Amino acid sequence: MNWDIIVENLGLYAAGAKLTLLLTVVSLALSFFIAVPLALARNSPSPLLRYPVFVYTLIFRGTPLLVQLFLIYFGLAQFELVRTSIVWPWLSSPLVCVLIAFVMNTTAYSTEIFAGGLRHIPFGEVEAARAYGMSPLTRARRILIPAMLTRSLPLYGNETIMMLQATSLASTVTLLEITGVARNITLTYYVQFEPYATAAMIYLVFTFILVGLFQLVERRWAGYLEHRVG
Amino acid sequence: MNKTVKSLLAATMIALITTASHAADKIKIATDATFPPFESIDSSGKLVGYDVELMQAVCDAVKLDCDIFNAAWDGMIPGLIDGKYDALISQLTVTEKRRQILAFSDIYDHPIFRFVAKRGASFEFTPEGLAGKTIAVQTGTPMDAYITSHYPKAIIKRYDTGSSPYLELTAGRADLHISYQAQIIHGFLNSDSGKGFELVGPELTGKDAKEFGEGVAVAVNKKNSELISQINKGLATLRGNGQLAALNKKYFGE
Repeated sequence: MNWDIIVENLGLYAAGAKLTLLLTVVSLALSFFIAVPLALARNSPSPLLRYPVFVYTLIFRGTPLLVQLFLIYFGLAQFELVRTSIVWPWLSSPLVCVLIAFVMNTTAYSTEIFAGGLRHIPFGEVEAARAYGMSPLTRARRILIPAMLTRSLPLYGNETIMMLQATSLASTVTLLEITGVARNITLTYYVQFEPYATAAMIYLVFTFILVGLFQLVERRWAGYLEHRVG
Repeated sequence: MNKTVKSLLAATMIALITTASHAADKIKIATDATFPPFESIDSSGKLVGYDVELMQAVCDAVKLDCDIFNAAWDGMIPGLIDGKYDALISQLTVTEKRRQILAFSDIYDHPIFRFVAKRGASFEFTPEGLAGKTIAVQTGTPMDAYITSHYPKAIIKRYDTGSSPYLELTAGRADLHISYQAQIIHGFLNSDSGKGFELVGPELTGKDAKEFGEGVAVAVNKKNSELISQINKGLATLRGNGQLAALNKKYFGE
């Protein structure tokens, strides 16, 4: 065992951990705000709203994230039209491509999770809101969205953990997040166990933090659901 | 480490060793097949290339039963040290650093290293001249080590495979790529996607920078001196009977 190599490169791991956190937080934050309205649209009575969202989630849940990332990063770059367009300065950056892929992917899953939560709201709650004379917007803001989110919490917590682990794919397009750092060390020092074991430990710590956060959130906002079960 | 972990590890090791020993009859030789014309996979899924043919010829010459197969670049050298592979042939440059952990056969080629860029682009090959330029390299290669130490102000993009840098070059994400001249010419410039690109900058060898090493050779585990001498015998035979020259002519027209 040669843990000195790891100690020598702790600075690299710190930088990698920072990038992993950035990728996770930015992807989840952006996708959350897109997924909430999409979940409402997914359950909309209007087929014009419902079907496009369904097709989108079907495509992005039906293909592997790695393939989506390669299509965006390597695939789009093949077209002259893309390379000469005004968006190329952004699309040529691996960070932007990775974020696009991650946001599109996790939004698809989050949308389905939230939409599922929405379908499980007892109809009485919606009816009561109507009886109070709430407008559709007020109803969504006060009743539907909070009830949908609290019911989705356990599943959504899982999705955030999956997103955290999925950020390791960013290393395939040159980004040095935790996995990228570990791989670089294996290639420089020719040891395999210690670099990846260290990477795994960091992911584990991050996951524990995420799990803890979600437990807090559930206790704070979804406590009322507990009572009902009990 | 506590006892349970140790005994678990030991049990796993024993299981691995016993499974491995069943297939131990053949000499296991790994290559990173992302590096045409030296090693790549053709459309039928077969390993082809200069190194692959050379290794097979060496094995035939000394009657070794060899199994040459594709392996991921990032696990190759550790895999050799751990005994997962018996030998590596993958245009491996012999460097001082690698000599400390690996044993090498006799050198069978002296590659020239070059930069490649879009035709017409001009560069000044000094640390200042390449400052801010994006250079794509394969991670953990002599080219990577050279760029890292000689052009610290350049933006270095590192890839797992030997072929990804070309995708980046054609996409315009990288200004320069540095690799083996023969690989650039035969693997890229002569193909459709290589149109509009050209070799640039100085011809580099181990004499210009120590990172480029002494030449390329077959890597073998340090403990396996028997295999080294057999491979060397095979290489000498190919040199003597003109097979090596024929192979060079077939691939590079030299």
